[in-house]
Amino acid sequence: MPAVEMHAVTKTYARRGKSPQKALDDLELVVESGGVHGFLGPNGSGKTTSIRVLLGLIRPDAGEVRLLGRPVPSGLPDVIGSVGALVETPLFFPGFSGRRNLQLLAETAGLPRTRVEEVLETVELRDRADDRFKGYSLGMKQRLGIAAALLKSPQLLILDEPSNGLDPAGIRDVRELIRRLGQDGSTTVLLSSHLLTEIEQVADHVSIMARGRCIATGPVHKVLAGRSTGDVRIRVPDRAAAAAVLTAAGYAVSPTADGLLVSAVPAPGEITRVLAEHGHYLEELTPVAADLESAFLALTAEPA
Amino acid sequence: MSAVLTPPSVPTTAPAGRFGGLLRAETHRLRARRFIQVLLGLAVLAWIAVTALGLLNYEKATPERLAAAQAQLQEQVEQNEIGRQQCLTDPSLPPDVPVDQLCGPPMTAEDMELSWFLDPTPYSLSEEGPGGAVSIAAATAVLTFLIGATFVGAEWSSRSMVALLFWETRRPRVMGAKIAVVAVATLLVGVATQLAWLATAGIWQAVAGDGVPLPDGFWSEMLATHGRGALLALFAGLLGFGLTNLVRNTGAALGVGFVYFAVVESAISGFRPTWQPWLLTTNAAGLVVPGGLELTIYTDEIDTQGNSVVIEHLVTNLQGGIVMGVVTAVVVGVGVVLFSRRDAQ
Repeated sequence: MPAVEMHAVTKTYARRGKSPQKALDDLELVVESGGVHGFLGPNGSGKTTSIRVLLGLIRPDAGEVRLLGRPVPSGLPDVIGSVGALVETPLFFPGFSGRRNLQLLAETAGLPRTRVEEVLETVELRDRADDRFKGYSLGMKQRLGIAAALLKSPQLLILDEPSNGLDPAGIRDVRELIRRLGQDGSTTVLLSSHLLTEIEQVADHVSIMARGRCIATGPVHKVLAGRSTGDVRIRVPDRAAAAAVLTAAGYAVSPTADGLLVSAVPAPGEITRVLAEHGHYLEELTPVAADLESAFLALTAEPA
Repeated sequence: MSAVLTPPSVPTTAPAGRFGGLLRAETHRLRARRFIQVLLGLAVLAWIAVTALGLLNYEKATPERLAAAQAQLQEQVEQNEIGRQQCLTDPSLPPDVPVDQLCGPPMTAEDMELSWFLDPTPYSLSEEGPGGAVSIAAATAVLTFLIGATFVGAEWSSRSMVALLFWETRRPRVMGAKIAVVAVATLLVGVATQLAWLATAGIWQAVAGDGVPLPDGFWSEMLATHGRGALLALFAGLLGFGLTNLVRNTGAALGVGFVYFAVVESAISGFRPTWQPWLLTTNAAGLVVPGGLELTIYTDEIDTQGNSVVIEHLVTNLQGGIVMGVVTAVVVGVGVVLFSRRDAQ
């Protein structure tokens, strides 16, 4: 059973004095259970609107939405106890301590107070748990938001930009936590992020949003493979001579800082052969891997 | 041998928490609000100050003080009689005018009250008790309006209201829990302040009272006034809650309240005096004042003798209660409907 299903979902915002803005345009999104599913897209692409629709915070104009197999919003009360969410900035009472804020949420869901201590420990906030929320740094607020999302031991964890405001060590810890949760077999993490490296490091699957639509989805390696460049980076002792040989053989060659970049190479072994025939021997040959950033930029580029 | 096929295990999902948990969390949230604690602390300080001031300003009518007052009263009667006699012997008095009209009727001790000669005066529970309960009800209404407003205003300003929907998606339930908690809390505050007033009046009566026996029916009227005062505290608390929930900001709600009471009601009283029986403050007073609020309305109409037409209108306790209840229900209800239907951003 998919953790998340969105079919033909449309949402248009009316704007005073302006033309209506289509935030979701016939969106199709399926997140299978288990693992970490990255949710990528430029600002305004509809990621947060999608998450808000999933959580029943906003109503779509059309389409079908299911969360953990239940229709949204009518079936949400049946499953919301298994869904943890951190959407944009953490929302807490500024005058209450971190611990009290979590205790109030735990009480709402009928969870034991020991669970509060567990999640505080998980996000390493126990030492500052009695400080007021308004005195927290941005990173601490974010940690508390993640702690709140974890409070329900969720089957589905929805995290919207969880690394915001965290220091490098915090970012590493959060990514480690997400990776761990994704591997435990019982939790599905839907990770919305603008940090491509984050998605690349922790996600198994990715969906890329642009202009309110999901324009690519699947395992990260497949999305990358679909956007493979076929470029090869080489290093040779005599760059100029090697470039001349390859150009003569019909390859497009451009210099790099310490070697040459040969574009659109169907079979990298051919380069080795061509150069060897002319007495040039390679010191290095590296296929240029397609990274998610390139794929993302190519996919989300505005149509001409 | 037959194989037993077991379906793949589907993890069971957990529903939202129970309503009781929501109520408990809301109760703790309300109790933990610092501004509400400050308001209640100030109310306690005000109660102590009022009680102490009363003890300083009232004094028991001891036999010695009563005797001294009686002597003063008698002296006043005698001086009045001396003055009257001098007036009667004045030769310039016109003969065709009755002497009582010129020099006044003879004064007796019954024409004056002994309490006029007691300074400080003793406290009179029978005369001042119900009026004090009405005043306390008015002050408590302001207090509970602020409690209701700041409770939900804090939720909107911190956007915790939206965060709560991650935990309980049924919005009428979320709002219902908050309304229930505000209703119970403000009613309790109303009861507590009325009891505090009863305690104050009791202390004053015991320490500095007039010693006059309470008339028949006093306690039933007093308790009824207390009850209606507590009911006004409930209505005011829910009005503060409902208004703030509509505008989603405590400051804006207080501004709207101020404009209504200071500007709109004054304007209506000035330009449409016949609408006065339907104003909120009129009905709030009508709800609590024993026997209802008697209004004397001077209209713009002129009668046949050229005088302004005056209307006497009694705003009964029942009318006050119904008007306050309907207005409160509408303000709170509209807020709940909008919260349930609008997108939560």
